[in-house]
Amino acid sequence: MSAEYQPKVIGFLCNWCSYAGADIAGTSRMSYPQNIRIIRVPCSGRVDPLFVLKCFQRGADGVLVSGCHPGDCHYTEGNYHTRRRFALLREFLDYLGIAKERLRVEWVSASEGQRFAELVSDFTAELTKLGPRSKI
Amino acid sequence: MARIGVFLCHCGSNIAGAVNIPEVAEAARRLPQVVHVEDNKFTCSDPGQASIQQAITEHKLNRVVIGACSPRMHEATFRRTVAGAGLNPYLLEIANLREHCSWVHPGQVEEATAKAIDLVRKAVARVAWQEPLTPNQVGITRRALVIGGGIAGIQASLDVADAGYEVILVEREPSIGGHMAQLDKTFPTLDCSACILTPKMTMVGQHANIKLMSYSEVEDVSGYIGNFRVKIKNNSRYIDVSKCTGCGECAKVCPVELNSEFDENLGKRKAAYIPFPQAIPNKYTIDKRGYPPCRVACPAGVNAQGYIALISQGKFKEALEVLRRTMPFAGVCGRVCTHPCEQDCERGKVDQPIAIRTLKRFMADYELKAGREKATPMERTKEEMIAIVGSGPAGLACAYDLVRQGYPVTVFESAPEAGGLLRYGIPEYRLPKEVLSNEISYIQELGVELKTNTPVKNLTEIFNDGYKAIFLGTGAGISQKMGIPGENIPGVLHSLDFLRQVNFGVKVSLGSKVAIIGGGNAAVDAARVARRLGVNEITVVYRRSRAEMPAIPSEIEEMEQEGIKIQFLAAPVRVLTEDNRLTGIQCIRMELGAPDASGRRRPVPVKGAEFTVDVDNVIIAVGQGVDKAMLPEGLDYTNWGTLSVDPVTLQTNVDGVFAGGDVVSGPADIISAIAAGKEAAISVDRYLRGIDMKEGRPETVKRVEEVSKAGVRPKARHSMPTLELGKRKGFDEVELGFDEKTAVEEAKRCLNCAVCSECRECEKVCEAEAIDHEMKDEISEEDVGAIVVATGAGVLDHTQFSIYGGGVYPDVVSSLQIERMMSAAGPTGGEVLRPSNGAHPKEVVFISCVGSRDERTGSGYCSKVCCMYMAKEAIMLKEHDPETHSYIIYTDARGPGGKIFEDFLTRAEKAGTTYMRGQIDSVARQDGRLLISGQDFLTNETFNIPADLVVLATGLMPNEDAARLFQTLHISYDSKNYLLQAHPKLRPVETATDGIFIAGCAVAPTDVPESVAQGGAAAQYVLKLFSQESIEAEPMTSIVDIARCAGCLLCRQVCPFQAIEAESLRDGRTVASINESLCKGCGICVVACRPGAIKLRGFDDQQILAEVMAL
Repeated sequence: MSAEYQPKVIGFLCNWCSYAGADIAGTSRMSYPQNIRIIRVPCSGRVDPLFVLKCFQRGADGVLVSGCHPGDCHYTEGNYHTRRRFALLREFLDYLGIAKERLRVEWVSASEGQRFAELVSDFTAELTKLGPRSKI
Repeated sequence: MARIGVFLCHCGSNIAGAVNIPEVAEAARRLPQVVHVEDNKFTCSDPGQASIQQAITEHKLNRVVIGACSPRMHEATFRRTVAGAGLNPYLLEIANLREHCSWVHPGQVEEATAKAIDLVRKAVARVAWQEPLTPNQVGITRRALVIGGGIAGIQASLDVADAGYEVILVEREPSIGGHMAQLDKTFPTLDCSACILTPKMTMVGQHANIKLMSYSEVEDVSGYIGNFRVKIKNNSRYIDVSKCTGCGECAKVCPVELNSEFDENLGKRKAAYIPFPQAIPNKYTIDKRGYPPCRVACPAGVNAQGYIALISQGKFKEALEVLRRTMPFAGVCGRVCTHPCEQDCERGKVDQPIAIRTLKRFMADYELKAGREKATPMERTKEEMIAIVGSGPAGLACAYDLVRQGYPVTVFESAPEAGGLLRYGIPEYRLPKEVLSNEISYIQELGVELKTNTPVKNLTEIFNDGYKAIFLGTGAGISQKMGIPGENIPGVLHSLDFLRQVNFGVKVSLGSKVAIIGGGNAAVDAARVARRLGVNEITVVYRRSRAEMPAIPSEIEEMEQEGIKIQFLAAPVRVLTEDNRLTGIQCIRMELGAPDASGRRRPVPVKGAEFTVDVDNVIIAVGQGVDKAMLPEGLDYTNWGTLSVDPVTLQTNVDGVFAGGDVVSGPADIISAIAAGKEAAISVDRYLRGIDMKEGRPETVKRVEEVSKAGVRPKARHSMPTLELGKRKGFDEVELGFDEKTAVEEAKRCLNCAVCSECRECEKVCEAEAIDHEMKDEISEEDVGAIVVATGAGVLDHTQFSIYGGGVYPDVVSSLQIERMMSAAGPTGGEVLRPSNGAHPKEVVFISCVGSRDERTGSGYCSKVCCMYMAKEAIMLKEHDPETHSYIIYTDARGPGGKIFEDFLTRAEKAGTTYMRGQIDSVARQDGRLLISGQDFLTNETFNIPADLVVLATGLMPNEDAARLFQTLHISYDSKNYLLQAHPKLRPVETATDGIFIAGCAVAPTDVPESVAQGGAAAQYVLKLFSQESIEAEPMTSIVDIARCAGCLLCRQVCPFQAIEAESLRDGRTVASINESLCKGCGICVVACRPGAIKLRGFDDQQILAEVMAL
């Protein structure tokens, strides 16, 4: 209702750890800003960098990719691929004129409801400060 | 054309309370392809589900969106609902309006509603792209794997086995039983723990359906529910369990004793042990942790720990046998070896290394004094004759190994007597000829033929005489020249010639002043021999400094004690003469420059710093070399003038001719020569048998890793008694060796690094012939359909709690320690005793919540069982000794749950236990007792309780390496390493991974009844699975569109499950092919595929992008 800028955040969460962690945040009734819309994927390694770019193209102000902690991936290695792909993508974002801070790659385990809530709050606050993303 | 139905759930007020459902419904109606929208109070209930089914039929829906709780909660439920109406269950999408929306945005109805609308729109967009999927039916392997043999695992195993299915129970320790086996009594019934546990353990051991794999660990798991493939490592016990009768004779003779883990370090066990008498399997285990450092450091691989362990037990004869398994030179090496073993001795990290060399010598001296029995000749089992040229340590070691393998061996020696430098180099006062001759005779008694005064110049002649292989161990016996003017005049001697003459008994006349040039053992030997020949003034001239002198340090020390001086940093330039008579040497001062090839700093002459030393004789000892004139022709040499051989096989350029020792390495030490002789023996044997000489060589050995020094009190190494200076005129032995008492004391300092010392005394007494020290770890593969994880938890180490005196005062013990003391089969025979003085304690203080409910010291959670066990222990203490009085200082005291738990605490109180609510400020020592000071919260007063014993109720904590197993299984665990349940309320024994179930303390602190219940529950899920005909395989797997596939096979590289293979098409093209059964549906390959040829059914690009576009 406020005319204040509300960043639009898309989150890709892996089914086994991060999505479960977000569920725990819900079960524990933790609050966090409502800006985030979560898309479920089987593994963070499923997240194609093109999805992220599509999000920015369609007007997202921030994108979160979250998976299991290294070593704990349900599929053993998926998150290692994620780590590498997105390390590379972050460098490209600068080139495209998108602030690097708008893409976050995090590891949230299935028991870390608190951490997820804090993460979303933190990210949203940071994006609010950054302001809306200019069109690409 | 999709016909989408949207069903919004109120979930009571869980969603409806924060989200405006009618608004969402309105928005949903306006979405494309949505033909029906309805809302429901409780969609997952019977009426709710029926309503969906009805709507599907009525409105001919072909896609369903449900806005409700998390799909992780009810996706399976709603799939069944949808399938029940005849619609493919994969044409369903769930929008998470509860955990991700209403529950996290309370009181923000507008924002939550807007978000809910977005989430529904996203789900609708996605579901339009979803395709019907048909899961394959897969078979189920009706065998279960249970990991962990504590009470939970035992119960699960028995329940599944009793139902008629096969169970594999894997337990890491040598016996099942877990921590329950350590308890004395259990609460609240005060049943004897062993009495209620052992019948179950026995049933497991005897059950036809249970395959018990103890002392084993799960290494790897692959597959999926109904079809797991598991790799299990069976650690070597070095005892064949099928033969072991559990008689215990091995433990009786085992010389290695260490703290018993089962008795919580209050008692001891042997390296060959059984953890407790009622162990299942009732078999012994030999704890062997690799090779001890001494053995690894020894070039010849002598097992020093083996003979030292036996010496410590007074078994001197048996100890010598251990040495003789490797080499025969106890007396020789025991006097003159350079002892690399002592350099790496772990005891050296506490105080000083064990006097290994002297202990070796002691064994030989002991036998010699008692009179050595003649050795039994070895049985001749082979025909091929072997010739050894040179009877130094290399040749003799080679002969020793070969004759013991049954070969006919002849040793050829050019000198009148055998021994090489051992006889003709090393002086008598270091190595008496009697000792050397004794050991050479021993070798001859075994059957080695010795031909002295027989030089060998022609290899072909030897072969013609019928020998099939030759070993050359002729040494490096000529002294190197310095190359200074005057080196050849009379009066200048070279050390090896000098020593040889003296050892031959030839009289060598020296003047009153002698200079020795050099800093190695030959120089020191020459100097000390010269002293014994009556020379007054002896100076050793060495061109580097003391730190670089290569001679054995104890030799240098003894030499200086004998009045021989060392002139450091000097070198001779020329020999001075007058009338052709030696008068002195001109030397020049040296200084140390940059390091040379050997790593030592190169000596550089200081210009103008010449000086003269008056001497009558000069003995040059600057190095030794190989005398090529002594060796047969046709052999290749290296640039250093030594024989060239293959580094692994030691074969020379001539087929069948091997070489080792100084003749190959240049001047080195005796033990290296022995090692070379032994290596050559392996080569000769393989050569004669016609098998590959290089395979498996050089042998890799595993040095033991961590050697605990905990509780080792420093005790200095026993020093070598030496002959008084005044008595060192002749060539009597200077070092006198240890007597029996000293030898045993010194041997007891050994830390037994590898635990089992391989002394092999156990083998001698095992009538069942069950011991096999060569056993290797075995890896087996098993197919199972379900897995139960019941790996339990450990207890925090009480010695970390120094604030309560743990690890500081011996009378501060852990709860498990007091259980062991109370146990009749425990280390104190059932008596509760103060560790400090063995007296019965009168006042005992229990401190609760040690490491629990406190993030700083341990963990924040409550360990649940401590209130009850403290009460139990207090009651038991009173039973053991009515004069004992216990205090329990508690934070909260609870007897949780119903039944007789709360009564139990009251019973403890009635038994005379004083319960005090408070905190502990300090535990200090006072007048031989402990003083416990703190604050009583109920009376608000401080208290000071003098006590005899303090028991710390340490909390439960999962084992540190549990995480590694969980990662192997791909199951989730929390930050404290406890396993995560599929749902904490409704699915407490399942994990998010189908087919893997959990039970007991591995999940959370539990007591025995709960562990038994959970074990049984897990078994029930296993049986539920097994009772099905088949199960549905997850259909969300990836598939390759071969039209688009470029055949780059990047996907194959990234697949963690090796599910992708290359496939050749009929047109010759190679494409990727995915094995549906192995594919787990992670989707890494989809992203890796550049042409975009891979589709992950259920999560393909179209579907995910549809979600993105909708937002």
